[in-house]
Amino acid sequence: MGQSMKRKEDPRFIRGKGRYLDDIVMPHMLYLALVHSPYPHARIKKIDKTAALAVPGVKAVITGEDLVAAKLGWLPTFHGFDNQMVLAIGKVLYQYQEVAGVVATSREAAADGAELVEVDYEPLDPVVDPFQSKLDKIILRDDREQKTNHIYHWEVGDRSAVDAAISKAEVTIKERILSPRCHPAPLEPCGCVSDMNGATGRLTVYMTSQAPHVHRTAFSLVTGIPEDKIHVISPDVGGGFGNKVPVYPGYVVATVASVILGVPVKWVENRTENLTTTGFARDYHMDVELGATKDGKLTALKVSTTADHGAFDAAADPRKYPAGMFGIVTGSYDFPAAFAEVDAYFTNKAPGGIAYRCSFRVTEAAFAIERAMDILANKLKMDPVELRSRNFIKKEQFPYASPLGFVYDSGDYEMTMRKALKIIGYDELRKEQAEKRKRGELMGIGISTFTEIVGAGPGKHFDILGIKMFDSAEIRIHPTGSGIVRAGTRHQGQGHETTWAQIVAEELGLDPQELLVEEGDTDTAPYGLGTYASRSTPVAGGALALAARKVRDKAKKIAAHLLEAAEDDVEWKDYKFNLKGVPGKTVTMKEVAFAAYTNPPPDTEPGLEATYYYDPPNLTFPYGTYIAVVDVDRDTGFVKVRRFLAVDDCGNIINPMIVEGQIHGGLTEGFAIAFMQEIKYDASGNNLNTNFTEYLVPTALETPHWETDNTVTPSPHHPIGAKGVGESPNVGSPMAFVNAVMDALSPLGVTHVDMPLTREKVWSAIREAKGA
Amino acid sequence: MDLQWNGQEQIAANKATVWTFINDPAKVASCLPDLLESNVHDAHSFDATVKVGVGPVRGKFKFNITLEPSADGNHMDLKISGGGLGSVVDLLAGADLIANGDMTTLDWKGSASMRGPVATIGGRVLDAQAHRVISTTFENVKNQLGGVTAT
Repeated sequence: MGQSMKRKEDPRFIRGKGRYLDDIVMPHMLYLALVHSPYPHARIKKIDKTAALAVPGVKAVITGEDLVAAKLGWLPTFHGFDNQMVLAIGKVLYQYQEVAGVVATSREAAADGAELVEVDYEPLDPVVDPFQSKLDKIILRDDREQKTNHIYHWEVGDRSAVDAAISKAEVTIKERILSPRCHPAPLEPCGCVSDMNGATGRLTVYMTSQAPHVHRTAFSLVTGIPEDKIHVISPDVGGGFGNKVPVYPGYVVATVASVILGVPVKWVENRTENLTTTGFARDYHMDVELGATKDGKLTALKVSTTADHGAFDAAADPRKYPAGMFGIVTGSYDFPAAFAEVDAYFTNKAPGGIAYRCSFRVTEAAFAIERAMDILANKLKMDPVELRSRNFIKKEQFPYASPLGFVYDSGDYEMTMRKALKIIGYDELRKEQAEKRKRGELMGIGISTFTEIVGAGPGKHFDILGIKMFDSAEIRIHPTGSGIVRAGTRHQGQGHETTWAQIVAEELGLDPQELLVEEGDTDTAPYGLGTYASRSTPVAGGALALAARKVRDKAKKIAAHLLEAAEDDVEWKDYKFNLKGVPGKTVTMKEVAFAAYTNPPPDTEPGLEATYYYDPPNLTFPYGTYIAVVDVDRDTGFVKVRRFLAVDDCGNIINPMIVEGQIHGGLTEGFAIAFMQEIKYDASGNNLNTNFTEYLVPTALETPHWETDNTVTPSPHHPIGAKGVGESPNVGSPMAFVNAVMDALSPLGVTHVDMPLTREKVWSAIREAKGA
Repeated sequence: MDLQWNGQEQIAANKATVWTFINDPAKVASCLPDLLESNVHDAHSFDATVKVGVGPVRGKFKFNITLEPSADGNHMDLKISGGGLGSVVDLLAGADLIANGDMTTLDWKGSASMRGPVATIGGRVLDAQAHRVISTTFENVKNQLGGVTAT
């Protein structure tokens, strides 16, 4: 623990020996290509398969009506409140929606066949703006009993108290802040190989899955195949970021095709399919109001959000929290009163609303409060650091019950911020900025002092399809003291093969190099809810530590037997069992392991293994202070990120090198979201960002240099005091960049520009500003 | 994606000659740029397969084209609908014919609605490409009738 051990998985990755989905080739395997709608909203009058079936190599063409006949026309969405068409039935509801599937002997033949499926559409007017959707002039979902585009209203907090506080406030601000639709865009897109074995009746699905067990259960619920007859294997996964949590039509159609044709069927989407049909993120339009005193003491927060969910309510939010954990919108600040509400609407856009490297709407919430704090500081003519300092939840207030219902576990926000300010040289930067402003130069300093909420469960509050959000670990120690560790999570680059081994090694005094970590195979791993929402370390990490302690409890009996002592006279210290009061009389875990198989105590069953299902008592609350320093070219709108510092507090750290790597990756994503990425639709419903020439992914050329540091405030309830960190940099960084650019433009009177801050938008803001 | 363009051709032929020409589906088809194949259905309609290259969207598009002449012989609408490669294009081109001595001025306007990869993947170059297609069509009308000037 706490050691920067090199990643055990890297030798196979850097040598090209990873085994990803598309590496899987099976005898007699066929390929699936999907037909997509060019229209965002249209009735399907007819689908003609004739020409497609005439293409050499094409074996089958499957439509929505075929799936309806097989009772597989619709899928339940993530939380089970809505159903989603697998293939379009009667109507298409977004551009690129899947309309048919063509199965053939080669990828090329399948693609050729897909081009020849003739679909006769009757175009309908699309609704692409959630504020237009709100008017219900065009009802998009004929299939629902409720003839409205409104999906749900959710609220938390005391509306009347907040309204009263804001009306009495000495100073108020109100701003519409957009967290724009973006996409996780993992470099490996989604795919599967479905293999129904007619002889055994067993379905094996290799799939790009962040949650293999949940997918197995979902497959069973949808198809009626008993769960023991389904084997889901998630091979190496090339990035997920939430995109590989939902069930997509390609998985279902490939499986149906395998059942019909009796051979394995592979489906791997292309980049355009990934960007246009799989789970998007964000798309929250947030009206944020703050009330404060003249000296900068916050009195109230109100946030009213219009959420664009696209064609189906497929948002990845737990059943009890339709707007996810948006209640974290009070952030790191001690509000006397707060209120948040979210209204979600259907539009003719791809469905989703997944947690893109964030715990269910935390990024939107964190962005809203951190932007609002800077807008308020600007109005008060107060340094944003000072405003934050005056309103932080104090160290001694933890555990802190927020007015929106969450109980924060631990934190020392002032300490972490002061460390960041010292490292970056904040006072000197402000002096430099003042000098530059005299010369008309646009330099900005942006700060974000965010708090996250991660680690879903606890099971009493969080579930997927009714399954409680616990997680699990199984540890088997072999006779010679090495072992195998299995967990219900599935890493996609997070380094679990290393960190899980480190957690178990720390608890058992073993060598992490001799602990093999396995995930992603539902036949062997214990049932778990998967890896997303920064839940692996907070939940599965807890399960691993507690499973290891169960092993240690049994090992203690065996050690006592070996030491010919009573168990109470044996203690675990310095990574071995010691006979109390007898220095040097010790037994190592390796010795215990051998004895577990060769010389167990008479009243103890042989072997040394344990399983633990951990349902955490609370969420964890990682936080951090991020500071961006930018120079803006007033003639071109180009923003140069000169420095970026991330000081994170994720509690106890398992592997500092892996944490740093996670932060680098997340900051790069946050940088892209702040400056480059948005999934836009034109008024006709055309998706305008369908590939990497239009949806930009930063390369080393654009990516700034990242400076990182940390403080450590352990979670008091977590078995090893860890909080999770994978999502913090994505959650916490976009507003640091935006706050920095707005700080640079503040002498011109610019207070807010929505992301992404492209050169064109920054240039336009400068041109339109009064002071330009 | 909705687009609009306009232009003008000065044709070295009288109005009656131009009118006869643009009422003939086979002749109009021959003016489409990158034409691969066409089939005349009746006096006012034909289909055409054309080669398309808009950004990375490259292949064959098939269109149904209808001629809608005005009763007074002064205006022709050309409705083009079809697509390919998962894209759909609806294009309406209208031309006013104005007699100008022995010459005819062909004053045209075009608008198009596009869906699918042609609008999205080819978005950045679509406007110029579509403008080229429609302006080339009218330019070819002029060239086939012996016109030499364009504005």
